[in-house]
Amino acid sequence: MRHARIIFEGRELDIDISADDRITTAEGEVLNVALDSDQITWLVPVKEPGTIFALGINYADHASELAFEPPKEPLVFIKHANTLTGHKQVSYRPDNIDYQHYECELVAVIGKSGKNIKREDALDYVAGYTVCNDFAIRDYLENYYRPNLRVKSRDSLLPMGPWIVDTADIADANALKLTTTVNGKVTQDGSTKDMIFNVPFIIEYLSKIMTLNPGDMICTGTPHGIVDCQPGDTVVCSIEDICSLETRMVSEQEYYGDKY
Amino acid sequence: MTANTLVNSKLVCVALNDKAQLAALEGAFNEAPYKKPPTQPVLYYKPRNTWSVNGAEIEWAKDFDGVDVPAMAVGASLGVVIGKEICRVSAEDALDYVVGYTLVSDFSLPEESYYRPDIKGKCLDGSAPVGPTIVPADQISNPDALRVTLSVNGHLRSNFELSGMQRGVAELISIISHIMTLQPGEMIAVGFAGDRVAVAKGDRVDAQIEGVGTLTNTLGGA
Repeated sequence: MRHARIIFEGRELDIDISADDRITTAEGEVLNVALDSDQITWLVPVKEPGTIFALGINYADHASELAFEPPKEPLVFIKHANTLTGHKQVSYRPDNIDYQHYECELVAVIGKSGKNIKREDALDYVAGYTVCNDFAIRDYLENYYRPNLRVKSRDSLLPMGPWIVDTADIADANALKLTTTVNGKVTQDGSTKDMIFNVPFIIEYLSKIMTLNPGDMICTGTPHGIVDCQPGDTVVCSIEDICSLETRMVSEQEYYGDKY
Repeated sequence: MTANTLVNSKLVCVALNDKAQLAALEGAFNEAPYKKPPTQPVLYYKPRNTWSVNGAEIEWAKDFDGVDVPAMAVGASLGVVIGKEICRVSAEDALDYVVGYTLVSDFSLPEESYYRPDIKGKCLDGSAPVGPTIVPADQISNPDALRVTLSVNGHLRSNFELSGMQRGVAELISIISHIMTLQPGEMIAVGFAGDRVAVAKGDRVDAQIEGVGTLTNTLGGA
């Protein structure tokens, strides 16, 4: 089963999506609308977003592309809900920068609280998986708490969704094809099998430090194949058997409007 | 998670905002891995599992083998509480968005490196008590003129004049609000004395700002 949050006919709804794409609301109402309909506004699928943990340099090939040694332990940074936006929404490119790239990532959504969780038990704590695009602005990197908040904590730069797939429906989260297209052209073509630290490892690692809670998310990093994105571009991040996440890039002025 | 925390949804902390500390570390910051001193505020989050309250016992951290860590440290900061949604404001207007002030203590492992996000050091459960209350903003005429003290078991260990901050409260709010939209109840811990204070199991820690209050916590594990 898949789970999402949408706005449809003016109502904000928690929905389940069956294998044959039938949409049922939490109240049991069947919605007569197709998943690709423009009548659906997709919200972030995590209803009460908690702490967002994101990994850097977590694919062997991405690590070599960026000329870093693969890390000996996870490189984890934190983001908050201000960065989140849904499927088919917009993300902005700041003015006067040279390099902003997408990062297509598998996301594990935490479903129950735990501390000191063993690797072999870790998936019991995962409600499901979704896809995110953890945009980065390389111009803003500084060597203090790198990747610093200016690079990774900006509004709208973590699209996520459209839905969460139940953990039990994914036999092996580390055997999934991962692709990104920009304006229909494939720019990233990888697999979650190249992940350095997998979800159970990361859950064991983080929960040795702190309690994980429902609504927390773990964004697991991206493989090689990152390219610059410009306003007007349509970026689609896809992970096999999970979902495809579409984002349209806009300028900083278009995004902020009156607040620009 | 502490149910009655004063923090809503976000606690942004500013590291390396003590001018004296920046000066002392300038040599190191011109070498690898930093290569040059920071040009922007150095920010980190204390996530929701860390939020706690005045009077709470602070758990003594364990290492990855489940053994008590050899050392912990604490810093204290003025906590600036956002009163209304704030997006891309100027420094001139920034204080209009502040509803009040409080104290934030940041218990952590000793700060050894600023190169990577310090998840191990900074994200310990209950390590960010906030309080004792939120003092209305109109009772503080100039937040940059305050002084933050830290006492351990009644002995003064740190005395930080906020006039010694690299960036003041209004400038920080402005810069952060250009990175992220802030919501009511979110907080910014604007600056800690560069020298964090070592603490031991069972220590009582009082963070104090005249006119804001005293935030008292005790280390566990004794």
